[in-house]
Amino acid sequence: MAKNLRGDLQVASANRLVDGMVVFLDAAAQWTDRLDRADVARDEKAAERLLERARAESATVVDPFLVAVTEDGAGRIEPLSLREKIRAAGLTFAAIAAESVRYA
Amino acid sequence: MPDAHFYRYDDYDRRLVAERVEQFRDQVRRRLAGELTEDQFKPLRLTNGLYLQLHAYMLRIAIPYGTLSSRQLRKLAEISRTYDRGYGHFTTRQNLQLNWIKLEQAPDAIAALAEVDMHSIQTSGNCVRNTTADHFAGAAADEIEDPRVWCEIVRQWSTLHPEFSFLPRKFKIAITGSPNDRAAVRVHDIGLRFWRNGEGEAGFEVIVGGGLGRTPMIGKTLREFLPKDELLAYLEATLRVYNRHGRRDNLFKARIKILVHEIGAEKMREEVEAEYESMKDSALKLAPETIEAIARQFAPPPLQSKRTRVPEVEALKLEDRNFALWLKSNVAPHRAPGHAIVTASLKPAGAPPGDASAAQMEGVADIADAYSFSEIRVSHEQNLVLPHVAIEDLPAVYRALGRLGFAEANIGKITDIIACPGLDYCALANARSIPVAQRISNHFAALARQHDIGDLKIKISGCINACGHHHVGHIGILGVDKNGAELYQISLGGDVDFGHTALGTILGPAVPAERVVEAVDTLVATYLEVRTDGERFVDTYRRIGIQPFKDRVYATV
Amino acid sequence: MPLFREGSATPVVNDGPVPMPLAEWFKDRSSTAVALANTDDVTSLQPRLAGLALITLHFPKFSDGRAYSQARILRERLGYRGELRATGGVLQDQLPFLLRCGFDSFESDQKGFGEALLKARTLFSVVYQPTEDGRPTVSQLRLQHRSVTLSAAQ
Repeated sequence: MAKNLRGDLQVASANRLVDGMVVFLDAAAQWTDRLDRADVARDEKAAERLLERARAESATVVDPFLVAVTEDGAGRIEPLSLREKIRAAGLTFAAIAAESVRYA
Repeated sequence: MPDAHFYRYDDYDRRLVAERVEQFRDQVRRRLAGELTEDQFKPLRLTNGLYLQLHAYMLRIAIPYGTLSSRQLRKLAEISRTYDRGYGHFTTRQNLQLNWIKLEQAPDAIAALAEVDMHSIQTSGNCVRNTTADHFAGAAADEIEDPRVWCEIVRQWSTLHPEFSFLPRKFKIAITGSPNDRAAVRVHDIGLRFWRNGEGEAGFEVIVGGGLGRTPMIGKTLREFLPKDELLAYLEATLRVYNRHGRRDNLFKARIKILVHEIGAEKMREEVEAEYESMKDSALKLAPETIEAIARQFAPPPLQSKRTRVPEVEALKLEDRNFALWLKSNVAPHRAPGHAIVTASLKPAGAPPGDASAAQMEGVADIADAYSFSEIRVSHEQNLVLPHVAIEDLPAVYRALGRLGFAEANIGKITDIIACPGLDYCALANARSIPVAQRISNHFAALARQHDIGDLKIKISGCINACGHHHVGHIGILGVDKNGAELYQISLGGDVDFGHTALGTILGPAVPAERVVEAVDTLVATYLEVRTDGERFVDTYRRIGIQPFKDRVYATV
Repeated sequence: MPLFREGSATPVVNDGPVPMPLAEWFKDRSSTAVALANTDDVTSLQPRLAGLALITLHFPKFSDGRAYSQARILRERLGYRGELRATGGVLQDQLPFLLRCGFDSFESDQKGFGEALLKARTLFSVVYQPTEDGRPTVSQLRLQHRSVTLSAAQ
């Protein structure tokens, strides 16, 4: 059960400039492609500071923004919105493979 | 390899595209070096077809008038392998989108395109986009004139147009050469339709201000008959009026359709004609030699006289029911006796509509080399077309397409679904499109049933921008986001057939994702119960109206 | 903002007349320079163009392209031959378009703008559209080439 449905928990995300890949800001102010390493802001003040830090580190990424997340009992975080879930986890169907001549 | 039977770049065209690649390479370099901000860079990358989507950059490649040579299609396959994940998505605007491009490699990808005389110039941004045409152009039995000649003339005129590269909003032109419009000319910013006047002279009906998106509108005829050689002058006049007077205060009201709607077609016509007066005798007037030189390049391939009745085809029809169905739905009449136009369905059951792997693209290129004069078309319904196939080769083409998974006998049927990439890829989307299309496609996969249901166009968009053309689907499906849940609004009765162009009517409250298939099934069942002989779904809808459908779909809610 | 003219990679001294907004200029036509908003109707200047040495056209932002049309109407339809300046902070990537529409001076504070200006006319050696910059279009070049080939063949 999600602790927080209003999205008080936030992570900072962006797309990496060189390749567009989805990245998150970690506690060491580095961009990582791993959501589980993202620095989580736990209140509004922390979220503001997180976004500021993300913007300060935005030379290598495009347009950082905050993503509302939930955290389960095991400390695993997941974005709230479907859009951000898809950004974090990828396509919700299997794309056709380069060498396949049939789908699925 | 045989020469292409459509426009080939000359040194001028090649030089321009090469210079454009180098300009973009420099722009990318400046962006990566931090000399350009994202705000400054974004319009530059967009006019080179490069978007930033959810997971990566997306490159939109123009396929002018939907015509490709096998060599070009092989290159697209190679580019998708080298610079992407080995597959691509054919769109409703005769473009190919690659979804996993890296910014640092984008200039190389575009340079590779230039090797086969292709580009991604102006496939995005507020400029004149890729001009689309009837995908059966040059082959259709009902054609007055090949629209691709004019698309090419427009392509050249619109490429890096100094005045119209920063319009209020994007600008889409479509041209059809047939009375049976297959280019949806009434739902474009400008639609051009060939017809012959009383003197037997062919010219254009100029339709302005149509479009789908947030505010769907059917275009208004601005000129009943425009002499062909005045086309560019008239386009330039129209674009100038739009550039000066189109709204720029509100992104959602910036398309030309809003200008035409707000000032009225009559006022729009006056403004355009006034501009046109000053231009029509200018250098924009097309010299007959210019038109002829381009038209010559679209000369049809040397089709030999072929048998019109082929025993092997008749035999296979009896033997293989799916082949018989395929002949009915995927094969269209060609103007040359003994030939046919074959549509390769990019909608096999359960597949993402319009997607093809690199291997599939190469497979289609091979088939085109063997059986269709190395030519392929991309339809706005997200399928590929082999335009010049001998009837006697149909069994071989059917088998070859079958090996690629592209011989599904479903063209025009309920599983020939148009769908935009939706929330799985697109930064603008509110809901997913592809998984919805997949579920409907799987549910109705049985071919005999599809053919019993008959022609039925389902079109799905993941947001109000309507890339999936949901407004003009017989059944239109629009994904909306309601408090984080994906809901789908269903509309009925849309159509793009000429003379019947209509926008769909919303059925009722949006349904949750898991109920879409059920709702479509109910709509189909309702139709099957009350249809009369020969009536398509949309005909029944027109006869009985929306209420019976509505009652049934919402009866169980 | 620094002012650039073709032929110089460094900013030039802006010592010309100070342009007046169109409405003011109509009241008192003492200045030979007028500043237009991109919503102003350029044809209203028609009877007085001969007395003008400078017209500035404004780009409130990169993506607002109305002034390109104003420029072409001034140059091509009204025959204005004085200085035509793009204001509002022009970026180097607009230059090939601006030059083709008849602009000949530019306000920009973008780094590298002057160097880009030197190269802007040759960035694209090919043009498809006829404009008043007089460059032969691809269609015209093809027709020429064709007539040369034809006469050589005769």
